[in-house]
Amino acid sequence: MKPDPLIDSIFLAKLERLAIQWRKSFPGLVGGHNISHFAGPGQEFLDHRQFHHGDDLRAVNWRAYLRLEKLFLKMFQVEPRIPVRLLLDCSNSMTTGSVSKFDYARKLAAALCYVGLVRLDTMCIQPFAQELGDSFLSGGGRHRFIPAVNFLQQLKPSGRTDYFQIARQFISKYPQRGLLIIISDFLDDTDCERPLQFLADFGHELMLLHIWDDEDRDPPWEGQLDLTDAETGSTLEIGFDAAARRNYTVAFDEFAKSIQRVGLRNSGRYVGLSTGTTIEEAIFGPMARSGGIQ
Amino acid sequence: MFFLNLSLPEFLAVLGSLSAGVVALYLLDRMRKIHTVATLRFFAAAEKAPVLKHRRKLQQPWSLLLQLISLLLLLLAIAQLRFGSPARASRDHVLILDSSAWMAARTGQTRMIDQARAAARSYVRLLPASDRVMVVRADVLATPVTLFESDRQKINQAIDQTQPGAAPLSIQEALDFAQQAQRLHSQRPGEIVFVGAGRVSGDKAPSLSTPPNLRTIPINGPSEHFGFRKVSVRRSFTDTDTWEVFVAVKNYGAKARSVPLGVQFGGAPVGTRRFDLKAGAEENATFRFKTRAAGWLEARLITQDAFQQDDRAVLELPARKLLPVTVYSTEPDLLRPVFTAIPGVQATFRPPASYDANIHDGIVLLDRFSPPAPPAVDSIWMEPPPNKSPIAVRNTEKKVKLKNWRADHPLGAGLRAKDLEFQNAEVFQVQTGDIALAESDAGALIVARPGKPKTVVFGFHPVRSGMKYELTTPLLFANILRWMAPDIFRSWELTAGSAGTVDVELESETNPSTIHVVTEDGKPLPFTVEGRTLRFFSGAAGIVRVLTGDRELVYSLTLPQPGDIVWTSSSAKHGLPGRSPAQPSSTDIWPWLALLGSLGLLTDWILFGRKQGGAAAAPHTLHRLPWRKAS
Repeated sequence: MKPDPLIDSIFLAKLERLAIQWRKSFPGLVGGHNISHFAGPGQEFLDHRQFHHGDDLRAVNWRAYLRLEKLFLKMFQVEPRIPVRLLLDCSNSMTTGSVSKFDYARKLAAALCYVGLVRLDTMCIQPFAQELGDSFLSGGGRHRFIPAVNFLQQLKPSGRTDYFQIARQFISKYPQRGLLIIISDFLDDTDCERPLQFLADFGHELMLLHIWDDEDRDPPWEGQLDLTDAETGSTLEIGFDAAARRNYTVAFDEFAKSIQRVGLRNSGRYVGLSTGTTIEEAIFGPMARSGGIQ
Repeated sequence: MFFLNLSLPEFLAVLGSLSAGVVALYLLDRMRKIHTVATLRFFAAAEKAPVLKHRRKLQQPWSLLLQLISLLLLLLAIAQLRFGSPARASRDHVLILDSSAWMAARTGQTRMIDQARAAARSYVRLLPASDRVMVVRADVLATPVTLFESDRQKINQAIDQTQPGAAPLSIQEALDFAQQAQRLHSQRPGEIVFVGAGRVSGDKAPSLSTPPNLRTIPINGPSEHFGFRKVSVRRSFTDTDTWEVFVAVKNYGAKARSVPLGVQFGGAPVGTRRFDLKAGAEENATFRFKTRAAGWLEARLITQDAFQQDDRAVLELPARKLLPVTVYSTEPDLLRPVFTAIPGVQATFRPPASYDANIHDGIVLLDRFSPPAPPAVDSIWMEPPPNKSPIAVRNTEKKVKLKNWRADHPLGAGLRAKDLEFQNAEVFQVQTGDIALAESDAGALIVARPGKPKTVVFGFHPVRSGMKYELTTPLLFANILRWMAPDIFRSWELTAGSAGTVDVELESETNPSTIHVVTEDGKPLPFTVEGRTLRFFSGAAGIVRVLTGDRELVYSLTLPQPGDIVWTSSSAKHGLPGRSPAQPSSTDIWPWLALLGSLGLLTDWILFGRKQGGAAAAPHTLHRLPWRKAS
């Protein structure tokens, strides 16, 4: 049976005018759409500098030479093509909740992938759980979108999350810096802030898309609960009342804030998304307002 | 305090079951729930109170209590809790309205049924609004018109639509039916009320058993009345063209009266008679008149009284049917005396040369000749040529002596002649199904073959032999003709009577399997036979035919019979009640109970139920928080 399409064609048409944005300047191939601080063979004027022997005579500002009798060279901004990598959380914690966070994350990844492909960015989808899975690299236009969707549809959630391990593997696998979009619930029982900091320190620009279900933030249950951790399988018996629920929500919000701090501290972006928000609302709402996509 | 809809054990059983269900659901709702969550880290941070302490303690006991109280209130509302005595609760009455034929009698300008309807409506008006009434129409049958109904409009409509029928009143059946209805369908039996004249047969009144809760509202009718008891017509046994009319007349009044009777057939007077009858006396009269034609016979009592339905009886008399018999014979004078001796037969004598095979009516007799084509109708063959006989001739014997008759068959009924000797006789070969009517030592001399058409073959000529002077000869032909055409010879009698149970006196003990009792549209009517009495019941006016072999009795059940005496009950209450027999003093509080129960459930949902659902539905997203906008 043919799986349901992740994104319908009407929504794809709306994504045509968007582009993934980043703030850092990365050395990359010419032909992208983001302006870099690096001077190079671009179209936009950047600055003048003294002419040195060997410089390209075509960039000499001859008007300035006629007036000042000194050779000045015009410098242009380069527009490099930067690799965009989507890290997609496929751990078991993404399957809990009344609405599957994993499906939501896949749809969001598909939308971002389409936006990038339309702008001729190179998109790399990298699933992860305890370690990095097989990646999917795609670039060169919107006609490469269908294989990307097929790849996303065949992903299955399993295992637990280990951000230390995946940070280590990612740095060794992708030495070229670029934009790193992480779609995850960031629920790692050890710690996910330090691995994220490692990735930022390595030179990647982080765009953290924090997905949660309403049940994750504000559990609807009360009374005596037998709880099982979806990733580790550990259990907890707890009496859960209104006060406990308030404490729970406060703790969750504190955790979200810590993730947000990591993202913003390293000139990155953070967007928290509930699964109750539709993908369209998420793209044109919180993500557009954050500047990650415009 | 009492329950209207439930008894106390039923109420407690239902309440116990529902309470157990609510408590079970409550415990189920508050039992430990198993969930799989994304992480336990925040639950661990939220955990405050000891776990086991909660497990042994009822949570939200007020919710449970409120639910149980609400449930109790709603159940009390359903059970229709009332304050007061159960004796004052609504009752179920049965109103028996006399719809017998006598109710059509007039007293002054109104009919008795109009007075009965007015009295019934007055009684219903006096009842409390909560009392239920079943309306039953009573003539020879008790017919319920409504169930136990509290809607006064429906009850009055049923009363107003009641009309007098054609049958007499059978009060015992109506009372039995009312008692049974109260026993089976009534929640709290009230009164059984009889409204009507109560005229019943004199032989039934003494044996009536009246219920203790009976009330009668008598409708007084005319005291003087004169009418037919029975009118019947039948053909005379001696002369089939003569009708015998039997009329029975009764003076139902308390004074002696003299009333003339006139009988007409087709508008022409047949006879008159004056009856001088004392009070309660009954007298009969018989008339005879002769006709072969069909027509209407009208018997009329020339009197003016309040009930004219039984002063006139009209009966339709059929024409006399004749059986055509075509005789092909070279010697017609030999056979002519035989057929003229049988009434109802029209014999035609023709020579064998004029044989017509296309005769489709009656019977054909072939005297010593065989036609080229056999007749299509029933036929009698006399000494047919041996090689062309319809029944194979075994041999021809001389000086044959007739030895015995088949006496157990209708064909041989009454045939006793013996020592008959024939000079020449054909002996037939009898097949299966054939009836050997007369036999000699050599074999069958007269054989009848049933089927369509029927055939009787003589091996000798009865008139050319010594049998000519025997009584057996016309009797034998009469039996043959009766066997071939039983409808023609069936005796016919028409009686006008009233609907109900009809007893028919049979001439002899007849096998019930040969008796047919059918209505005018041909539907069979159940009947019983005890000795020589056949009994059937018809609840409606109409025509019923009783066929018993060679006799047909037609009952025109259209003559109403008013009943001999007026039934009264000494133990029953009489007349309309002076005040309402059951005043409602109990108070309906079920609407308040239902309201309180609903309010209790609503309060429980607001205080305890909504919190759970509300927490689950509360939309909180981090991107709406102030710090989220900093990104």
